[in-house]
Amino acid sequence: MAELMSRSEFRVALEAAFSGTMAKDASFSRAWATGKLHKQHFVHWATNHYHYIGPFGDYLGLMYANTPDHARDAKDFLLQNMYEEELSDDRHTDLLIRFAEACGGTREYVQNRDNAMPFAKGMQGWMYYVSGRENFVVSSAALIVGLESQVPSIYRTQYPTLINKYGFSEWEAEFFDLHITSDEIHGERGYQIVLKYADTPELQQRCLHFVREAADMRFAYTKALYENYVMPDLGPWVEEDEREPALVG
Amino acid sequence: MPRIYFKTADAHVDFAEGEEVNVLRMAIREDIDVPWQCASGNCGTDRLVVEEGAENLDPPRRRERARLGELVDKGYRLACQTYTRGDVTFSWDPDQVGLDDEPGTSSGGSRAGWAGSG
Repeated sequence: MAELMSRSEFRVALEAAFSGTMAKDASFSRAWATGKLHKQHFVHWATNHYHYIGPFGDYLGLMYANTPDHARDAKDFLLQNMYEEELSDDRHTDLLIRFAEACGGTREYVQNRDNAMPFAKGMQGWMYYVSGRENFVVSSAALIVGLESQVPSIYRTQYPTLINKYGFSEWEAEFFDLHITSDEIHGERGYQIVLKYADTPELQQRCLHFVREAADMRFAYTKALYENYVMPDLGPWVEEDEREPALVG
Repeated sequence: MPRIYFKTADAHVDFAEGEEVNVLRMAIREDIDVPWQCASGNCGTDRLVVEEGAENLDPPRRRERARLGELVDKGYRLACQTYTRGDVTFSWDPDQVGLDDEPGTSSGGSRAGWAGSG
């Protein structure tokens, strides 16, 4: 039976839980970062991403309701995260649609659920399940540590390519710039909550399980984006620098 | 090993060679009392003076430039928007508030949103 890990041991274990399957290493992300994609591919990405993260406020709201009053700092973090997604500045989904429109898409196309892959709908359903049914510490581990904290590592590679290679303006690519930094802080605060409130061996192990599952879900979803939309145009993904091979084809 | 020195708090964070790290994230991780509020480049509460090591920081992007305005030229950076890859020293006013909340102060910048520009 697992023993209770110290705070520093648990942090290392959380980081290790998703380090092998980070979405930045999936074929779609690699094709993006190396300038291989076409604007129509980005429309498909934005459409699927909309149906994956569009209800993020809902997910956070479910987590908020599941968080006990004694964990006031966790409740406040979730509320602030929700506010930032929806109200503090431009609504994040509007920034996503702005990017899709810059690629030739339309708001109606992006918002139409019929245009999303089953994988995107699966991500959405999984997030509703975890946020609604799991202990708030476990759902924080899954959604904040396992998914949201990955975002800066993905967009820090993709954003410069959008500006320098694909020729988007900073205004058109605002969605990415905003998330590079805001999700650094959300991710770190998520770590602090999980490290503080996962105070039994069972909770720690369940957090690790769901961080792995979250990383697997996002990796598979990102890989599916390539297979559905890019492979018909560019063929199977082959990493140019074979010294650093991609995890998937 | 590179070091971020938070001079006003007399605290530091070391990080691995070859990494680029977000300044505010490292402060939160190590429970260092840097003032901050929104973490999105909107409020400016986390503006820091770069005392040494500016050459190790990434250049400010649009949101930070828009929020800080002329303060960028005076050596300020927003902790939430700034990444470093080497030694750097920051200081700040421990009582500082958001740029829009500071009475009688002109930051020279504007809210980082795109109102009027999009």
